Amino acid sequence: MADKITLGYTHLSGCTGCTVALADNYAGLLTLLDRYVDLKYMPTLADVRHVQKVDVSFVEGSCCINDKLAVEELKETREKSTVVVALGGCACYGNITRFSRGGQQNQPQHEAYLPIGDIIKVDVYIPGCAPTPQMIRNVAVMAYLLLKGTKEQKELATAFLKPLMMAAQRGTTACFCELMTEVINQGLCMGCGSCASACPVNAITHEYGKPQGERDLCIKCGACYNQCPRSWFSFDVVENYEAINEAIMAALQ
Amino acid sequence: MGAELGKYKACVSARSTDKEILKHAQDGGIVTSLLGYALDTGIIDGAIVAVNKEFAAKHQSLIMRDNTNWDMVEPWRPFPAVVSTKADLLAAAGTKYNISPNVSMIKEATRSFGLDKVGIVGTPCQMQAVRKLQLYPIGARDVGAAVALAVGIFCMENFPYQSILQLVEDHAAMKMESVKKMEIGKGKFWIYGKRGQVVQLPLKVTHKYEQPGCHVCLDYVANLGDISTGSVGSPDGWSTVFVRSKIGDSVWANAMAAGVFETQPIEKVKPGLELVTKLANEKITKNKNTLEARKTFGVGKALRSPYI
Amino acid sequence: MSKVVEISPTTRHEGHSKLVLKVNDQGIIETGNWCSITPVRGVEKLAVGKTPEQVPKIASRVCGICPIAHNLAATEAMEASIKCEIPKDAKMLRHILQLANRLHSIALHDILILPDLYIPGTEVMINPFTAEEPVRTVAKRIQRLREIGQTVGQIAGGDCIHPRNTRVGGMYRNCSEQAKTKMYDLAKEGLVLAKAQMDFMIAVLRNYQARESVTVGGMKVALPKTLGYHNQGYLATDAFYGSSSLDECPTWDIDRFKEVRPWDWYMGEMEVSLEEPRYPVGGTTKLGTKVNPQMEACTGIPMYDGQPVEVGPRARLVTYKNYDEKGTVGQNIAREMEYTDSLYEMIDCIDALNPDGKVVADYIPDGDGSLGWASNEAPRGTDVHITRVKDWKVQYFSMLVPTTWNFATCSAALTGAPWQLAEVIMRGYDPCVSCATHMIVVDEDNKLVAQKLIQ
Ligand SMILES: Cc1cc2nc3c(=O)[nH]c(=O)nc-3n(C[C@H](O)[C@H](O)[C@H](O)COP(=O)(O)OP(=O)(O)OC[C@H]3O[C@@H](n4cnc5c(N)ncnc54)[C@H](O)[C@@H]3O)c2cc1C
Ligand code: SF4
Ligand code: SF4
Ligand code: SF4
Ligand code: SF4
Repeated sequence: MADKITLGYTHLSGCTGCTVALADNYAGLLTLLDRYVDLKYMPTLADVRHVQKVDVSFVEGSCCINDKLAVEELKETREKSTVVVALGGCACYGNITRFSRGGQQNQPQHEAYLPIGDIIKVDVYIPGCAPTPQMIRNVAVMAYLLLKGTKEQKELATAFLKPLMMAAQRGTTACFCELMTEVINQGLCMGCGSCASACPVNAITHEYGKPQGERDLCIKCGACYNQCPRSWFSFDVVENYEAINEAIMAALQ
Repeated sequence: MGAELGKYKACVSARSTDKEILKHAQDGGIVTSLLGYALDTGIIDGAIVAVNKEFAAKHQSLIMRDNTNWDMVEPWRPFPAVVSTKADLLAAAGTKYNISPNVSMIKEATRSFGLDKVGIVGTPCQMQAVRKLQLYPIGARDVGAAVALAVGIFCMENFPYQSILQLVEDHAAMKMESVKKMEIGKGKFWIYGKRGQVVQLPLKVTHKYEQPGCHVCLDYVANLGDISTGSVGSPDGWSTVFVRSKIGDSVWANAMAAGVFETQPIEKVKPGLELVTKLANEKITKNKNTLEARKTFGVGKALRSPYI
Repeated sequence: MSKVVEISPTTRHEGHSKLVLKVNDQGIIETGNWCSITPVRGVEKLAVGKTPEQVPKIASRVCGICPIAHNLAATEAMEASIKCEIPKDAKMLRHILQLANRLHSIALHDILILPDLYIPGTEVMINPFTAEEPVRTVAKRIQRLREIGQTVGQIAGGDCIHPRNTRVGGMYRNCSEQAKTKMYDLAKEGLVLAKAQMDFMIAVLRNYQARESVTVGGMKVALPKTLGYHNQGYLATDAFYGSSSLDECPTWDIDRFKEVRPWDWYMGEMEVSLEEPRYPVGGTTKLGTKVNPQMEACTGIPMYDGQPVEVGPRARLVTYKNYDEKGTVGQNIAREMEYTDSLYEMIDCIDALNPDGKVVADYIPDGDGSLGWASNEAPRGTDVHITRVKDWKVQYFSMLVPTTWNFATCSAALTGAPWQLAEVIMRGYDPCVSCATHMIVVDEDNKLVAQKLIQ
């Protein structure tokens, strides 16, 4: 037990799709819990009712700043966690809650929703709506290696997590517009198609090879931007894809 | 330098032993034969390739949905398609020198196509995309482990469709419809007509038409393919092949044992690895310079670099 | 003298909710209020002015456990408003997707309720994540069932948490023959596992039901035979899928529906006068804390013929299969019975799917502002979405979701139970709370809808 990392899961204004994604590691979830992760707090899967002191906290959902409880819980999560991971499009970029504008019963004053990075310092991003089980798994294993591993394992984990930490530093907006402004407008797009396959609402097609975004469909999840190899790309890590994939798979055997 | 050819376990000059494939293929028919072999032996149960408009119009259920009006689609425009028969693979053979966003189908291949083991062919940047989505599957749930064989093709640059149109119709004064094959090699852009005519354009002419995204590309020989292949380095009709990953190694060994390819040692052929190395270095150096230049592009303002 | 105890937040379900309970000297609940405290993201309001294509994608994100139902109900409400009939094979794909979601959801619910239950014949409460047998085998089976559901959903729906393949007018893509075979194989495998899992769960539930008492946080609590009984009615719109105003014979009548605000229904301000630190995990709310369900509740109270009703698996079985077992155990058993049902139905739908059939309507109208609604039987019950679309813009959007119905019904079912078992009763409803912060139907609509239904 002692050499596992402790994990908390704070649920704000999200849909629990991120939680389902975590659970969708299927048998791998059981292995993670057996060996690497001690689930300390997670209202959906565990009984503990209040935020605990943990090594790593996943936060799902954006934060309604008109809801005192949500803001407090988020701040408490920051204070009690060594590493805070924004899990999913809502926590990272606001996602659909960016469109919220209040006025609905029974709490018409619930109007303003912010990605958590606008309220607390966030260490790691896992974008996507829903995020993928494999991405959650990879980050969990890497967080374990970072906190409990050997020197080499720590280095590997640092290299792996670095782009996700930089994504957290970069800011709280990413949607098809960022693909335009930071990739296409910058002359970086080469038409690989990753963005279109990443989009969870089919908002991107390729016309004459280049991405066309239907902005009336885009939900602002940030998957396209972060999946694009021309938004960020780490040779250090990706050139070693074979060894890293093997290490992760071995960890789950 | 030294890293310009990427990691590899073996490098040979090879060509397919299948005459029918050689008739349609760009070079040694490596890609088509390899994917065909993988299909036959169950290593993959479908592959993402770049098909032409005739095929795409006839098999719309195999391609990405977009806004295409089939009456208006120009010749030589590629479309990524998921194919699962050797006949369809053959129909996709040959290089199309404009963008085919093959990775756009990689998730769908595992969904409505029902594939468990996906094959994919693509340029070096597309191989980078595949590996990124395997390690960082941000929008690619249950895809990474399904990629069973990724074949990379060498690539110096690619073009927007309109560039190819202008090169063929303006510079070479040929109709797109009547082009049988296009090729870049021996320092020239070659256009072969269906009636036997051949036009060559100096690469000086083509440079301006390249897609800008290619100018920050630091990979020539598809370092991240399981197997990567291209014409350069080998004699006409033959291909240079790098066997890179464990998967690549085992697929290649089995394909060789099954007699899918004939090979020659790369050291024995002309112009050989020396030319591959030279071109790779040229590309990487040029594009590193572009990346440097982007840092001071504006006054006190840089353009982004994707590499961290 | 009755005392007030509050359990907040409740655990092992989706979203944020709490229980405010007025209990007698024996700790038996006299009045129970179960209410949502999830912030209201206001999806119904933010939908206004958007395209009918985007709104169902947003609606899906109201809840990640029944996203499929929300996505389908919203899409079909749009189609009903613009009067667009979709091709048969698109319908089949939607049915498969919906059943796949139900399969995974039932399995997930098993994980959530198991910690309340005992390994039969022992005093060992079940921790679904323990590596010990026999639980580990069960946990693996549950995860495999979920995997089967999610994978089938992914094939039919493009993605399985939030589906990507649905669109107004049908589906983006049909499945290949190969994909159809894969779904079929998975469903067949699922059937064997589901049968075993259903038998296991029913045995565990029957064992629980037969107990005299249970232990909660070290407290021995007598188990009433009538745990979770209520006298409210049931509402279901289909045994499996749902219906819409485009169908000939809609099974629910919007005219019989009314909604009251929590103000009229929940208890007002009170002070916590009973605190139990032993209650797992972390104890109940501190003595002296002010609670006010009336003000804090984030949902309204829907009524059918003037009464709250129960929706969900039992409501479906009562309506379509003469099932009649009351109480929390009866409700959980009904859910288990849907395991194999949903797989048999799924196999039928896969059989009926023609991979070469078209899946998008030839003509998709822009809408003239007509009222359209569609209901979809989510894993936890009837999910009705109502909309008006004019000139390809949404003018009005409303979601009447399962857990909203069940909040009031469950509150009624709390009466008579020891307060320590309130969460057990609540979990019987498999609550999905964040979706429940959405619903409003303005009264003046009734007339229009009634007219439409008569036509
Ligand atoms: C844009 C581009 C630039 C290239 N530049 C070089 C170069 O500088 N030096 C060099 O040696 N080789 C280059 N090649 C590779 C070369 O042209 C051949 O594709 C390669 O040698 C494979 O030949 P083959 O006979 O084995 O393949 P074949 O059996 O003919 O199969 C070729 C495969 O490539 C796929 N394909 C065709 N066009 C595209 C496209 N645009 N994007 C993605 N996939 C496609 C087809 O679907 C087919 O499956 C380039 C290829 C492309 C597409
Ligand atoms: S990111 Fe998507 S899945 Fe996660 S909470 Fe937000 S809407 Fe739900
Ligand atoms: S275009 Fe798609 S992937 Fe990109 S942010 Fe919008 S919804 Fe997400
Ligand atoms: S993922 Fe990036 S590089 Fe690839 S097509 Fe999309 S925008 Fe272009
Ligand atoms: S040059 Fe690089 S970026 Fe351009 S198509 Fe080739 S591999 Fe892609």
